[in-house]
Amino acid sequence: MSRILAIAQLTWKAAFRFRLFWVLVILLLGCVVVLPLLIKHDGTARGFTQILLTYTLMTITALLGFSTLWLACGTLARDIEDCQMQVVAVKPIARWQIWLGKWLGITVLNLTLLAISAGSVYGLLQWRARQLPPEQQRILRNEIFVARAGIKERAPDIDRYVEQVFQERIKQTPVAPEEQPQVRQAIREQIMARLQVVPPGFQRVWNLDLGLHKNFLRDEPLYVRAKLFAAKTNISGTYQGTWYLGDPRNPASRILPASLAGDTVHEFAAPANIFDEQGRVMISFENQSDTALLFPLDEGLELLYRDGGFGFNFVRGLLMILFWLALLAALGLASASFLSFPVAAFFSFTLLMIVLSSGSLSMSVQDGYIYSGGDPSISPASKVLESALLSLFKGILELVKLVQAFSPVDALSTGRSITWTQLARAFGQVVILFGGVMALGGIFLFTRRELATAQGTQ
Amino acid sequence: MSRKAYKWIWLLMAVALLAAAGQFQRLLNRQRTSPEIGLSRMADLGSNAPPVLAFTTVALGGFRGIIANILWIRANELQNNGKYFEMVQLADWITKLQPTFTQVWVVQAWNMAYNISVKFSDPADRWRWVQRGIELLRDHGLRYNPGASLMYRELGWFYQHKMGQNLDDAHKFYKASWAREMTAVFGGPRPNFEELRRPTTPDAERRVHLLREKYKMDPAIMEEVDKLYGPLEWRLPEAHAIYWAAVGLKNCKDGDLITIRRVIYQSTLISVIRGRILYFEADGTPVTAPNLDRVARASETYLRLSAEDTEQPYAIRNAHQIFLREMVYHFYTHSREAEAEKWFKLLKQLYPDVVPGNPTMEEFAVQRFTQNIENLSGDRMMVILTGLLSQYYISLALDEDKRADGFARMAGHLYQYNEERIRLRRKPLEIPPLEEIKKTWLNQMLNPNTGLLPMEMIVRLRTRLNLPAGQTPNETGGEAKPSATAEVKP
Repeated sequence: MSRILAIAQLTWKAAFRFRLFWVLVILLLGCVVVLPLLIKHDGTARGFTQILLTYTLMTITALLGFSTLWLACGTLARDIEDCQMQVVAVKPIARWQIWLGKWLGITVLNLTLLAISAGSVYGLLQWRARQLPPEQQRILRNEIFVARAGIKERAPDIDRYVEQVFQERIKQTPVAPEEQPQVRQAIREQIMARLQVVPPGFQRVWNLDLGLHKNFLRDEPLYVRAKLFAAKTNISGTYQGTWYLGDPRNPASRILPASLAGDTVHEFAAPANIFDEQGRVMISFENQSDTALLFPLDEGLELLYRDGGFGFNFVRGLLMILFWLALLAALGLASASFLSFPVAAFFSFTLLMIVLSSGSLSMSVQDGYIYSGGDPSISPASKVLESALLSLFKGILELVKLVQAFSPVDALSTGRSITWTQLARAFGQVVILFGGVMALGGIFLFTRRELATAQGTQ
Repeated sequence: MSRKAYKWIWLLMAVALLAAAGQFQRLLNRQRTSPEIGLSRMADLGSNAPPVLAFTTVALGGFRGIIANILWIRANELQNNGKYFEMVQLADWITKLQPTFTQVWVVQAWNMAYNISVKFSDPADRWRWVQRGIELLRDHGLRYNPGASLMYRELGWFYQHKMGQNLDDAHKFYKASWAREMTAVFGGPRPNFEELRRPTTPDAERRVHLLREKYKMDPAIMEEVDKLYGPLEWRLPEAHAIYWAAVGLKNCKDGDLITIRRVIYQSTLISVIRGRILYFEADGTPVTAPNLDRVARASETYLRLSAEDTEQPYAIRNAHQIFLREMVYHFYTHSREAEAEKWFKLLKQLYPDVVPGNPTMEEFAVQRFTQNIENLSGDRMMVILTGLLSQYYISLALDEDKRADGFARMAGHLYQYNEERIRLRRKPLEIPPLEEIKKTWLNQMLNPNTGLLPMEMIVRLRTRLNLPAGQTPNETGGEAKPSATAEVKP
């Protein structure tokens, strides 16, 4: 271990020797100071805090991300090219220890820089919040400076229900085997419509269960997050309805008339203590518009509640960012293990770009074509190539999804909780799985690399 | 060759290449802007562009479009997920990357004022986004595109349609907020143009500063617009729609002026339909009533605009005949038969085809009334209701109680009909209670300054309602009852 630490220390020293550390500190603190002066917001303290948090953390992540890749590629590839590695390699230290030492050095460097910059962001946010009027402070405390978890209605077992109805149907009217999939599909759609659609003048009731959380939520604010779609758009773009928050027998329950836009997420405060002794909450919506409204099963309604404080949530979010940076360090080191510095840097940045442009890849996969525009008359060779590329995109997306599933900046800016379980999953998937694969590959290549041969850039 | 000589050679080469690149750059820029090649738009930002924008425009070159696309995609994604806090910043970047591309400004402003605003339930949140949309066009877009008619049209439309009409459930909040802001800027209900042009007190200077710097309005142009199209009720949004359209008419030479003229004549019509503020409700919502005295000026506006327009003068004339048809029955409903007759004559004279069968003015007005009654908006409902109430009070003053009862009953039925009609959107569309309308309209009629009734009739009405001179119905705690049952005339 002391050998790995010695290499990590050397990496640190190099970062100071090349003034990288101080340059990054100045850049990171600069962005924390300058960004609030430059950004434009929606005019609310909440909006300003959200955008400040988002942009500062994103800038910090981007700066540290690029510097990590650069440093990781440079520290290994340049050491080899400048023949300094040969001096280290002849010492009683294994190649894997050198590789891991460099990774550890970069990660600890990132941890330090992240702590300095994120600490400044935290301090800035708290300082700015204290200048606000009490009402604004209350909003920030309840909606941004908080870790909120959400509960949704228990998802019904649609497949079982479809099968049950289908069996009853075919008992009454036999259906030919080739028509059975269509009948099943029709039944599914009917059931989904019954569960999701609220016709004019009707009510939809959600029964939610806070479970044991109820013990910690006495007098704590709750928030309803709802999304709906309208069957027919109207000229105003909004639909009238009434929310009934809590069981009407509960004195804390409230009736809330609402004008809701379709195809959008609405978030509003619900009164505290609308749950019963068992932690059950009843929320219903009466559709008073002249068109049917649809609340999707997955995101139609969610009840948000306080799950913890902002401080720990912020720390968990930062740890997730650190995991990303650790992965980038592993990527840079892995590519520098077998490539020269410029090629390794180019290779790493290209991989990063692919990950960042996964939106375009996913669009192509969804459309089912890349360049043909769905034209069936393209040549067979083009068809085969397109199909192969689509399979490649799908594979890349599956991998990228595993890494991109964690978006701490988004969660922090919307006051959503980052749980310890999510953090552990992020560590497992990002650091252990992906970082581990890269480390194994990198160490393998670096161990087998012939350091004494003439290097490419010499 | 020595190292020093090499250095000099490199330096000279660098200077020569830089000079050559400068020469080629001009040629390349000419080719890029050539309409025949049509490669790209070169942004002419004028001399007042901030250095960051000028630098970005030049430094990013052709990459500006790509960056704008990426930002646009991010904005769409965030909007789909209900996250709006970045929208102002993203819109700012997107528009600054393509500052002379008018459509980009218009789409971004529209998105904020129309699409994002309605995503919020709280009217204050909606109002904030409507303001952001207006600010983007008024404060930034017009700065770089002072001659773009589309931008003036859109700005005028935001005032006329978004704030002025009742399609948005929060429209009353917008009107209340705007009236409050304008009252603060004018220092009273109406702008004192002389004071605004030449402020003499620190308070006036502060208000003029606010008017010029925040609302980007010029008192001299306001006065000009007020003289030409008014007098306007500047606390209502349509006056501002007319203002910005009038500024557009002055500044634009790009040949798409019909859209701006449309904003002017449509807003002029609205300034007749709700030309006076009766009172403000407790939440600040202005309750308005028609001002039929503005009909003559509005008609002149239609005629002048159609004479000036070279694109679609027939469209403006068509709008004028619709305007005249409506005004005839409004005057008739308000018991102003002589004026109804006058405008009916003009209608027949200018547009004989729209009055087939040579009906009398009364027949025409009643026919229009029955045709329109089903689709009356809230403002037009107020026109008809106040018209019926005018007839009610005039009949009372003339001791024609049976006729008065008929008009009161008709107003009551119409009010009930409207209540039923708006039941699905009661809150945003409701008008004040009928008793409240009666009371405030009576105040208007008893006020000699409004010119709604001659002095003799005011005195008769006061006597009939048992109201001493100088006392308003409000002071009695409700509307005064007729002092005695009038004799029923045959």
